[in-house]
Amino acid sequence: MNEPRTVLVAMSGGVDSSVAAALLVEQGYRVVGLTMKTFCYAGTPGPTRACCGLEGIQDARRVAQGLGIPHYVVDVEEDFTRDVIDDFVQEYAAGRTPNPCVRCNGFTKFRDLLRRGRAFGAEAIATGHYARIARDPDGRVYLRRAVDAAKDQTYFLWMLPRALLPALLFPLGDLTKAEVRQMAASRGLPTAQKPESQEICFVPDGDYRGFLRQRLGDDHPALAPGPLVTRTGAVVGQHTGFAGYTVGQRRGLGAHGRRLYVLEVRPQSREVVVGEAEELLCRGLVVGELNWHLPPPAEGSWVEVQTRHRAPAVPAQVERISDDELHLRFAQPQRTVAPGQSAAIYREEALLGGGRIRRSV
Amino acid sequence: MGGIYLDHAATTPVRPEVRNAMAPWLEGEAGNPSSLHAWGRRARAALEEARERLAAALGAAPDEVVFTSGGTEANHLAIVGRALAAPGKRVLVSAVEHRSVLGAAEVAAELGHPTERLPVDTAGCVDLAALETRLRAGPVAVVAVQWVNNELGTVQPVAQVAALAHAYAAVVHTDAIQAIGKVPVDWAAAGVDLLTLSGHKLGAPPGIGALVVRRGVALRPLLRGGAQEFGRRAGTEPLPAAVGLAVAVELAVRERAARTERWRALRQRLEEGLRARVPDVWIHAADASRSPAIVSFSVPEADGLVLALDLEGIAVSAGSACASGSPEPSHVLEAIKLPAERRGSTVRVSFGPDTSEADVDRLLETLPRVLDRLRSWVLR
Repeated sequence: MNEPRTVLVAMSGGVDSSVAAALLVEQGYRVVGLTMKTFCYAGTPGPTRACCGLEGIQDARRVAQGLGIPHYVVDVEEDFTRDVIDDFVQEYAAGRTPNPCVRCNGFTKFRDLLRRGRAFGAEAIATGHYARIARDPDGRVYLRRAVDAAKDQTYFLWMLPRALLPALLFPLGDLTKAEVRQMAASRGLPTAQKPESQEICFVPDGDYRGFLRQRLGDDHPALAPGPLVTRTGAVVGQHTGFAGYTVGQRRGLGAHGRRLYVLEVRPQSREVVVGEAEELLCRGLVVGELNWHLPPPAEGSWVEVQTRHRAPAVPAQVERISDDELHLRFAQPQRTVAPGQSAAIYREEALLGGGRIRRSV
Repeated sequence: MGGIYLDHAATTPVRPEVRNAMAPWLEGEAGNPSSLHAWGRRARAALEEARERLAAALGAAPDEVVFTSGGTEANHLAIVGRALAAPGKRVLVSAVEHRSVLGAAEVAAELGHPTERLPVDTAGCVDLAALETRLRAGPVAVVAVQWVNNELGTVQPVAQVAALAHAYAAVVHTDAIQAIGKVPVDWAAAGVDLLTLSGHKLGAPPGIGALVVRRGVALRPLLRGGAQEFGRRAGTEPLPAAVGLAVAVELAVRERAARTERWRALRQRLEEGLRARVPDVWIHAADASRSPAIVSFSVPEADGLVLALDLEGIAVSAGSACASGSPEPSHVLEAIKLPAERRGSTVRVSFGPDTSEADVDRLLETLPRVLDRLRSWVLR
């Protein structure tokens, strides 16, 4: 009789990872559940710091108990703070708009999962992401979009280290969200009815400006009022701190008799540049901090680039590419995206890799 | 594959003798020890018998024993109760106290009592010179130095602490939860004023403990609204659990000498095995006076060792766990200045009455394999 393969599954306490764990159990794996404590929600000081009243942890534990699998909670707070939260704060302070979930996947979550998995003697690691694992004709492992296009999460996964891909399992890649909910309900999983989480996990109230204020201090220049200007330099109002503005944003700019959008954030002069919708259009992108799962696209070749979760990927041509920078030119002008955001590069359903947007051109 | 439980310092199974002694009060008649009628009187008699037996096992007087809901409450009653009785005076606690003592000191601090931590050496042993300096600095409500450290097994010089503190008219508390049944505990000889014990570490169920309070020590109750427990703790007495606790303490004290001999042999086998098989192992507090039932060791850079051993069916412990079950950074390992790369890979092994050589050998065989796996992880 063969020993069953051991797989370590990240369980957030949400419905997706709960079903992922259940499916792996049903497929005959020896499953171990792991919940990562990334952030301390109760900031009470002192040695008895009540840190861990996290609903997600309790839910994950209940699901694991119901499935009869071991479940552990590991503290990744230090790594998460360094690689995700500090980056988040610094990016906003520099007038850019970060993608903390991408950073977490790239730096914290999957690395820790793999490390723990190896330590436990697991042969594979799994999460409840909506993505598929595929192999190209040369045997290279890469990620493909999920069957459920509306739920596809490959956008958040471009930063995963390539070396880690062969160890991955995504049990939900072939399922729709509706099917997953139904599976959770039919298996009586306690998380079946849980709503989607939309907020950034370490800003549970959604007030990221308040969070930045807490981390940067009230008198940080990124949080100080400054001028709202047009492209021609006319001052049309005041903003309440450039860290609160993202390129493309429409709200919070005041009434000007016309619809204005944020075009640019200039941290040096503390100006927020505003203009009309057509001024937002750009011809291409410069992307840095590149990471490739498949061989990088050649100059002149066409790829599809996605710059927001759930936004469609649009065709773009590779103008120039080096180890650390990719210049893309869109087939059609696109709305400008905030620097700091992720650009995931696809060829049809295959995720080639991605990078961080340096600027729009 | 059966599991191996080497975590008796965390909790212990209920002993059959304890269960049998408790059974009549769980299955039989009801009776509130404070009631005047016959049912109440029978319950009262049983409660007081339990109190006498417990007191006798430690060499204390029955009216010095206050039953509590467990060690945490007893520690709070000792520290906060003393703080309330000594307005404005300072609270001194060793840096390696159990978290429940540190938590109680936090309450005292919130009540306005300056609270200081006493430094320890690299074995976790409290620094008596530093204690004296602090005693000299001003009046002290209570000095708390545990008898045996729960993470390292280090035995503190409790009698010396008591003598020193008494010279400065300070009251002394000791948390003896890990000491009863492991090292000789003589209430009279130790000279401490307040002593905590807990049932579930000794084969009684969780939810019962006691604070032994020397006659004449001023202590304000935390739970009020009834005169139970000599006015020191309001609330209907937990009769079945108190009976269980008394039996568990009696047995632990009676069996201590014989068990100690076995545990010492197991400890030696484990430590020699570790040194032979794990080249970079450190055995903590190795040269200090230690509980025979606890071995704490570390290796560098093997974070998650305790979880990996669990998956192999071996139950040991890291530091203390927080409510999430995630291992918390240990203040004890920090206080003894253990290098950071060893704090995440520290293991506490604690023996029980039935721990065998085979159990120790299984740990020794498993450990090198698990360590190899833990350390082979490389990504880029």
